Amino acid sequence: MDFLSRGRPDTVTALPVPESAVADVAALGTGEGTQAAGTGAPRRRVRALVRRPTFVISVLIVGWWVGAAVTWRLFGLNPYVNTGHLLAAPSWSEPFGTDDLGRSVFARTLAGADTALAVGPLGAVFATILGSALGVIAGYYRGLVDTLLMRLFDVLVVLPPLIFLIVVVGAFGASTPALIVIIGVVFAPGIARIIRAAVLAEMGKKYVTTAKVQGESAFRIMATELVPNVAPTIIIQATLSLAAAILMTATLSFLGLGAQPPSPDWGLAINDNRVFIESAWWTVVFPAAAVASLVVATHLIADNLKEMVWS
Amino acid sequence: MTAANPRPGDAGMVDPGAGAPRGFAALSERHTRIVALLGKRLLQIPFVLLAVSILTFWLIQLVPGDPGRNALGQYATAAQVHAWDVSNGLTGPVAARYLRWLRGFFTGNWGTSFVYDVPSRGLILGHLLNSALLGLYAFVMMVAVSLVLGTVQAYREGRRTDRAITISLMTLSSVPEFVTGVLLLIVFAVWLKSVPIQSGADATGNFAQRIHVMTLPAVVLAVSYLAVITRMVRTGTAGAITAAFHRTAVLKGLPGPAIVRRHVARNALIPTLSLLGIYFGGLLGGSAIVETLFNYPGLGALMVIAAERKDVVLLTDGVMVTGVIALLALLLTDVCLILMDPRIRFENTGS
Repeated sequence: MDFLSRGRPDTVTALPVPESAVADVAALGTGEGTQAAGTGAPRRRVRALVRRPTFVISVLIVGWWVGAAVTWRLFGLNPYVNTGHLLAAPSWSEPFGTDDLGRSVFARTLAGADTALAVGPLGAVFATILGSALGVIAGYYRGLVDTLLMRLFDVLVVLPPLIFLIVVVGAFGASTPALIVIIGVVFAPGIARIIRAAVLAEMGKKYVTTAKVQGESAFRIMATELVPNVAPTIIIQATLSLAAAILMTATLSFLGLGAQPPSPDWGLAINDNRVFIESAWWTVVFPAAAVASLVVATHLIADNLKEMVWS
Repeated sequence: MTAANPRPGDAGMVDPGAGAPRGFAALSERHTRIVALLGKRLLQIPFVLLAVSILTFWLIQLVPGDPGRNALGQYATAAQVHAWDVSNGLTGPVAARYLRWLRGFFTGNWGTSFVYDVPSRGLILGHLLNSALLGLYAFVMMVAVSLVLGTVQAYREGRRTDRAITISLMTLSSVPEFVTGVLLLIVFAVWLKSVPIQSGADATGNFAQRIHVMTLPAVVLAVSYLAVITRMVRTGTAGAITAAFHRTAVLKGLPGPAIVRRHVARNALIPTLSLLGIYFGGLLGGSAIVETLFNYPGLGALMVIAAERKDVVLLTDGVMVTGVIALLALLLTDVCLILMDPRIRFENTGS
């Protein structure tokens, strides 16, 4: 996690540069103590992070669901088979009970992690890459490019995200690859704005001027100088968009626009079993607890990262 | 202008205000800029809406499925389906259809919903009214609760009360709305039997009945926004009560209510207000999740049905209405901010 609080890339001083630039770089080391926090800081911050109970518990919860998503097949769980008992209450043999088709809610809840995590992480990665790239470009070039991108984003963020998603999902369908791209496109503008703001703050610093004076290419400055310096912001945005992406996919399937039966998806299970809420609460409560725990845990991880970076 | 600041009666300077601006220009720059900003926003809105409408129209044209075939059933002939398509304006190039739709939208002819077979205008506006009522209820509840909680937190900053409120609100707000809703339903509808499980179906009753039915959905809506707004109130209040002007007000012996009203509240509310405006627009436009969960007949639930059933007319019109509301809410926020805070700067920061 060294790059989290990395000050400047070492290339700046390693290359032959004009004397004034060297002086500038040397001045940076003292003038911007908060940026170049030294090499001991990252490790100390990670240790502080690991000592936070909310962070550790959240990581364990997310780890549990990732584990469930990857390994549920190995344990012989079958989320589709009829056990013969319809709407049976939780018992020793069926810890979470069964639903109206006699399917094990326990197996379905664990298997649901699969669909919940199928879209979210890749969608978040796509959104982060797209958003960061656009944000860095807008912040670096400013002027016309910046204005055009920002106006485009203004248009995209007018509609509430869910309404926008409903329209886009209606148009392109709700297959896993389509959802990944859609979530990427829907979340990218928000990320781009924040990264742009961070880049604008960086642009005033001398290492950027130095790099320009050295004649580094624009791409090189963006990729090796600006991106590492706004990396903490990017990582926080990635974690936040992961939580939002998981929430969005669950919401879409809850609304009947995402996963279709007989998928064990949590959102779908909550919507399907809503009518049994009076007679068989377990068909709703366990998927609800699952999706809530995953989303809240991801949120808390993002929150802890944020506090660590800004403290 | 310091050099050109002659005292009255100076020889040779008959008109002391010769170089000073007159008329509207004599107003401080800020007043003209308010008008300029609002004018700019008002000019921007049609263009943004136009862009949004082109985007949505084009996207919705991609919705797969054959509306004519769906509406007439599988026994209709191809000619009948084609005639239906023509009468519903579903033929011809996209650009022509868009212009026809745009003209219809402005002249009040919004087309006929495929699913409900009634004019989509009345349908959307009726559902919008329901959504707005629910949103308003949630908004009032949210503002009241977050003001109280945020202020309590600010006055107890760093203590156990502060932390407990923060943690519980954070957790509550990151729980998905449909999970909060389901859990509340289990508690209040199944265990306590104090509210009906299906709320929206009988939203036609008298006022007390309506409020009773809308309470649970409104609570769920409010809870999801509560954490962010409470946090804003807390930050604003904490900033105000640690500021020098607050200490001055206390030391010069102002009575408590006056301090709170004149110094704390006004400063504390500024950061909150900009958020409230954005959320207000979102709340009025309806929440697809809460309305679907509680079967409440609002615009959000209507949009979900339209998307599910591929009702392109209803979907296009509904999305446009949502966009108009969101933009108007942003404008309202700007106006409120200007009225509240004389220090707001108008530099175009591109945000």
